[in-house]
Amino acid sequence: MNRSVLIVGSLIGVALLGVLFLALGKDPQHIDSPLIGHPAPAFSLKAVGTGQTIDLEKLRGRPVIINFWATWCGPCYDEHPTLVQNAQLLGDQVQFVGVVFNDTEDKIQSFLRERGSAYPTLLDQQGKTAIAYGVGGVPETFFLNRQGTIVAKYAGPMSSNDIQNNLKKALQ
Amino acid sequence: MITVLFLALLQLGASQGTPLTGAALDQRTNEIAALLRCPVCQGMSVADSPSTVALDMKQHVRDLLAKGYTQEQILAEFERSYGQFVLLKPKTPVVWLLPVIALLIGVAVLVMKLRKLEAVPTRDPRPATSDPYLDRVRQLVEDK
Repeated sequence: MNRSVLIVGSLIGVALLGVLFLALGKDPQHIDSPLIGHPAPAFSLKAVGTGQTIDLEKLRGRPVIINFWATWCGPCYDEHPTLVQNAQLLGDQVQFVGVVFNDTEDKIQSFLRERGSAYPTLLDQQGKTAIAYGVGGVPETFFLNRQGTIVAKYAGPMSSNDIQNNLKKALQ
Repeated sequence: MITVLFLALLQLGASQGTPLTGAALDQRTNEIAALLRCPVCQGMSVADSPSTVALDMKQHVRDLLAKGYTQEQILAEFERSYGQFVLLKPKTPVVWLLPVIALLIGVAVLVMKLRKLEAVPTRDPRPATSDPYLDRVRQLVEDK
């Protein structure tokens, strides 16, 4: 076989194997958020139950964890106790906020009554806040530092370790 | 009624187009929604997808068009949140040119190889032998 053909063929083969290897184990649907490193999109939404309007701008000064979820989302049921437990554990050090979209207030209230709550849950009725954050599916969670900059995004249900690991970035 | 103050709209700046209504609004909504990828679907546009996320995105396009935002402003707004992934049409035409460039390179390599092959002198089909008997037989066969 021609030596140059062998070398070029081997290089192409190695490059293709490299691409394949790098993509192994990765979710093809996963996309890094372009919002990381940028100020979190502002929102002002009504809290479920209390009717109080929560303005993201007013939460600055401590890390904020924004969890997008919905009552029709199966993995959100699994994640909810972890979020509540961590919110109770971290207390005033970190502000947890739940944002629910494509859902009704009745269903959310029923969910929270049955499963408990430790932080405000806001209703994003038209899904505009979810769009501003580039949310594709739920649950998705954004970690904001004290200055209101998004430092991490997590897609899928989180464990306590996931929360702690991402929170470290928000506390830096 | 829930009060939603969508402050992120401020990032869009002032609208640079004419507010649309009626049939023109419907048509432009569908046209722009067809340029956006549904983030929860497999290769479907926001215009084609029945998912709730896509419906919300389509409604957002409609709201922005009704406020007078242009196609460029709207696509930039979605790109800011979702990244270039959300755009079904690549921003740079270089992406379309790459396969054509690759094809041209392939053709050029093929032509060069063929020219090289033509330049190589054809081998004598008769291998030289040191056997006078075989040489004589070949000569007789060729003369026939």
